[in-house]
Amino acid sequence: MVTCVDPCLAWLHGVQNADGGWGYFPGKQSRLEPTTYALLALAKDESRSEAFQRGWRLVESWQLANGSWRGSSIVNEPHWATSLVISLRCVLGIFDERFARAVEWLVALKGSESRPFARMAHWLRPSLIEFDPALTGWPWQPGTSAWVEPTAHAVMALRQALKHSRDPHMAKAIAARISIGQRMLLERRCRDGGWNYGNRRLLGFDLPSYPETTALALLALFGHVSVDWEEAIRHAEQLLQMTRSPLARAWLEAGLLQHGVARPAARGEPSGDILVASIGSIAWNRLVL
Amino acid sequence: MESPGPMITRRRVLQAGAAAAIASAAACRQAAVPGPRGTAPVTILRAASYQADLLDLMRRGAAACNLQARGKRVLLKPNLVEFQPGAVIHTQAEILAAVVALFESLGAREVIIGEGPGHRRDTMFLAEEAGYRANIPHFEKRFVDLNRDDVARVERFADTDGIYLSRTALAADLIVSVARMKTHHWAGATLSMKNLFGVVPGAIYGWPKNHLHQVGIGRAVAELYRIFPRSFAIVDGIVGMEGNGPVQGRARACGALVMGSDLAAVDATCCRIMGIDPAQIEYLQLVSGMGHVNTGQIEQRGESIAGLRTPFELPPQFEHLRLG
Repeated sequence: MVTCVDPCLAWLHGVQNADGGWGYFPGKQSRLEPTTYALLALAKDESRSEAFQRGWRLVESWQLANGSWRGSSIVNEPHWATSLVISLRCVLGIFDERFARAVEWLVALKGSESRPFARMAHWLRPSLIEFDPALTGWPWQPGTSAWVEPTAHAVMALRQALKHSRDPHMAKAIAARISIGQRMLLERRCRDGGWNYGNRRLLGFDLPSYPETTALALLALFGHVSVDWEEAIRHAEQLLQMTRSPLARAWLEAGLLQHGVARPAARGEPSGDILVASIGSIAWNRLVL
Repeated sequence: MESPGPMITRRRVLQAGAAAAIASAAACRQAAVPGPRGTAPVTILRAASYQADLLDLMRRGAAACNLQARGKRVLLKPNLVEFQPGAVIHTQAEILAAVVALFESLGAREVIIGEGPGHRRDTMFLAEEAGYRANIPHFEKRFVDLNRDDVARVERFADTDGIYLSRTALAADLIVSVARMKTHHWAGATLSMKNLFGVVPGAIYGWPKNHLHQVGIGRAVAELYRIFPRSFAIVDGIVGMEGNGPVQGRARACGALVMGSDLAAVDATCCRIMGIDPAQIEYLQLVSGMGHVNTGQIEQRGESIAGLRTPFELPPQFEHLRLG
């Protein structure tokens, strides 16, 4: 018998798939990202529950030989949500060989724009997309360019992993990637003070930021000395007041909670979106990544 | 694990040679393709504003194109790459509402609306901001976020082994690309074919779907055109976008709606209306063996191209696309 104070957690129980996973929406194929978010939401109080264990077993079955996680039973390719699985293992305190291989994979993964040929192309036409290719972030998929969201998730995961790394060489490599990943995020900041998917200026035009990616970047930069946090928090609070996107609001609340400047919003009825329900519960439970 | 980057080795030189030979053979095969059979009808309709009787216009266009939808499961794919208040980035809500009514009046079994935006994660939020929920009956029941839809794998996609695509799109009897007439800073123009990028799931390929850029925008567009032959195009050119499209350009009134069952023929026609040479657009070049791109292959109905010709300002790097 499960008793949940947070109505979203009870709802998550009700929409778990028969295979133990969660889809992006109820009744949809189980996928790595929503399943890991749902498990993060349930991790605080219910990690011993049957529902959690079924989800966990499914996620465990999805690790690939190279240490990364595949996107689902159908999607047999390394998936960016490997970062979320690392964060989940940190929350659960599971630092086994699978964890080490995943961290190793994530540390080695780089955006394709940092390759020599791509850097030369950027050097030839720097105004096409203005960014510093020396600042290596993380891509959505191996072989593609680095962007804000996968970089933010990777930084958050590695920041947790660093606390538990027992190998000094790996710890040094993790710290270096966190540092350069954060510098990449700082360099991609839009002129309006926030972040979008990762292009701040394109073909000579400034691009606007989005609330959801701004929230993620601020979470990844938490405590960074280069950020004017008073101004950044004020900006995030303004975005929270303005945006009507439930996903953006969930991330912004999570970020503001991390900075201790907001109280968890009252948990209403779930919207039907597994990510929104899960991220809201993660913030509610103060399990901010 | 990620490759450390290109290193010149003998193996790579041999691989490059082999790739060049394959590409050369492919080019020869393409050159040998005689082109599509027959002609494709494309209807051009004049509509001064979104207050026009759009449904009536579209009914006339559908009849002129002999559009059959009875009993079909139809997926309407608007362009909602981003939303900014007052900007002409997305497919206008009035257009999408009229298309829903059109396919219901044609007896479609189911009319679904699906989109997988390229930059923003919260698709439903974008749809709401664009006015879709307010303008379209039962919008929430109809709507599928294609970025986070169930997926199935399609073997072979350009030079790659395959691609995962939205199952809703793959299962549809007919995909209707309801695009906006826009210039595009990477592709020259974005019309009904480029709009198919929205069926590629962001949950796998990210925001943006950088994999498609790595494949090559033109090649990716051409591959999606090949994979979805059961399609129809309705391009909203009542007010299009010129200059630095598809997001930061300026509004350009054109007063045209363009419809047809061959997306390549519709896009080629739109290009001609916009003052762009379709033969210079990479993805139209690539599908010229499958689609109707040349003037002689297109049966123009309704208004004439000349009657609605509205030269769009092009991004500076695409000035060479302008029709002579």
